[in-house]
Amino acid sequence: MGLGVYFDNYIFVLLFMFLGVALPVGALTFGRLVRPNNPYPTKLTTYESGIEPTGDAQVRYHVAYYIVALEFVIFDVETVFLYPWAVALGELGWVGLNAGLIFIAILGLGLAYSWKKKVLEWN
Amino acid sequence: MSAYNANWSLMTPEIVLGILALVIFTIDFMTGVKGKKPFLGRMSIIALLVTAVLVYINRGAGTIADIFIVDHFSTMFKIILLVGVAIVIAISMHYLDKNDDVYQGEFYSLMLFAALGAMLMVSSADLITLYIGLELLSISSYCLAGFKKHNRKSTEGAIKYVVLGGTASAFILYGMSFLYGLTGTTSIIDISQVISSLYVDYPFIVVMSILFMLAGFGFKISIVPFHMWAPDVYEGSPTPVTAFLSVVSKIAGFAIVLRVFFTTFLGSEGVLYDEWTWIIAIIATVTMIVGNLIALTQKNIKRLMAYSGVAQAGYLLVPIAAIFIPSYSIGVIIFYSIVYVFMTLGAFAIITLVTEDSGRDDFSSFSGLYKRSPYMAIAMSVFLLGLAGLPLTAGFVGKAWIFISAAQAGMLWLAGVMFVTSVISFYYYFGVIKQMFMNEPNPNDVELKAPLSISVVVTIALAVTIILGVLPGLMIDWIAYIQW
Repeated sequence: MGLGVYFDNYIFVLLFMFLGVALPVGALTFGRLVRPNNPYPTKLTTYESGIEPTGDAQVRYHVAYYIVALEFVIFDVETVFLYPWAVALGELGWVGLNAGLIFIAILGLGLAYSWKKKVLEWN
Repeated sequence: MSAYNANWSLMTPEIVLGILALVIFTIDFMTGVKGKKPFLGRMSIIALLVTAVLVYINRGAGTIADIFIVDHFSTMFKIILLVGVAIVIAISMHYLDKNDDVYQGEFYSLMLFAALGAMLMVSSADLITLYIGLELLSISSYCLAGFKKHNRKSTEGAIKYVVLGGTASAFILYGMSFLYGLTGTTSIIDISQVISSLYVDYPFIVVMSILFMLAGFGFKISIVPFHMWAPDVYEGSPTPVTAFLSVVSKIAGFAIVLRVFFTTFLGSEGVLYDEWTWIIAIIATVTMIVGNLIALTQKNIKRLMAYSGVAQAGYLLVPIAAIFIPSYSIGVIIFYSIVYVFMTLGAFAIITLVTEDSGRDDFSSFSGLYKRSPYMAIAMSVFLLGLAGLPLTAGFVGKAWIFISAAQAGMLWLAGVMFVTSVISFYYYFGVIKQMFMNEPNPNDVELKAPLSISVVVTIALAVTIILGVLPGLMIDWIAYIQW
């Protein structure tokens, strides 16, 4: 085995890159060729759950939004960890249970902290 | 051996520090968000010293499932780092006493989490553990750098630090991914066993991995050309955090550079050693020259310390490049690290005292310090002369040992560069000393009274600097004969 073999393995990466670009471009181009083209103003407006669009998209968000978003991401990721943990708990045994509980306890402390710092109050 | 039946008691100091950090964190937010909390500072110092004692009791050899390693090397570095953080917290107590607007409890718990990250880093025997420790240290440092959140410079420094630090972490991960791709394992020890034969087949990829990891670690220890963040971040951060960055982050960074390069990249027959030793020698040369020359033009004491810290990192790289016997180089670096920690923290204690008193951080705040507080002026002179490497201070002994180790390894030119740049450094260190002794104090600066915490830190640092300068044998005899 030498460098050549190592880089030969990258052919699959190149193949995936090619397919990743070619498939959406090909599909959209094909669609453009076969579909009827009949634009009118109502059809071109931004679609947002059936509500009429108002204002510009580039608005300033409330700064509290970012902190709440951060909280959300943290607990979202926690669930990502907890699902496989819960499924495999039978095999992990007491060690796994304790490790998971410590993890939850640390996150719980974080939640108590943000509660005290009034992150959860919106004003 | 799996993680289930491993000897987890090896990790006792880390677990204890983690629990104590969480307890201090909880006490902080349960006692209200604002207000002065000196008791938390005292608790943090006790927590760190207790952990240092536990590290000492737990010394010896062992690994946990090949991810965590306890040996003389990690024990020594952990004690250096824990004592360093304890001193930084003592300095912070004075700083926080002067700055009511800074949230106090979080400051201490972030310092403790950073110390925990540094401990994990030093003990890691696995690339993933190393990375987690590094990130725990780095992310805590990013928060600490931006701790004065209504101050523009602090915020600017923190943003620069987080963006560049994140990039550096990406470089480290990319370098690690090459190693993992080649060997299929993240264990530093397992990689070191196969790296020599892999190098024969894939020299390009192994060298790329070395370069990427060197760039990432180089950022953390601020060596040229990865040092550009240091002056801005050092200037903007609260002064105790600057002390933290220039001591704890740097020494922990050196510990993992040593661990990774002397274990993983050494190769079984030293095959790989020829590959990176000259790279590090060149980086060390450039670091010493650039750090010392740019320091000459600085007018701000914190920026001066930043460039001086860059130059010191260059000196510490010399024994890594001039690797004659790995164990010997590690001994040299550990001795200089100890010396560097005490001299730099002593200097930063006085810088904190003086700049918080005057509210400015240019040289003029040091004018006539001798008339305002003779003890502090003399102590500061000793620390600066130690950093410059004047005889009778510990800094001289440390530098002399580095010099000798470079000469023994046949890198006399590198030792020569170190000697010449050290001479250059005298100029800017003496600039500060001249301000303290030759100039008159500013009219509205009265006698400077040091609080207890600062006086204690300065006295301890002064004692270590002078005792190790006059009687270096106390430590060298002991360090030189340990098989690291």
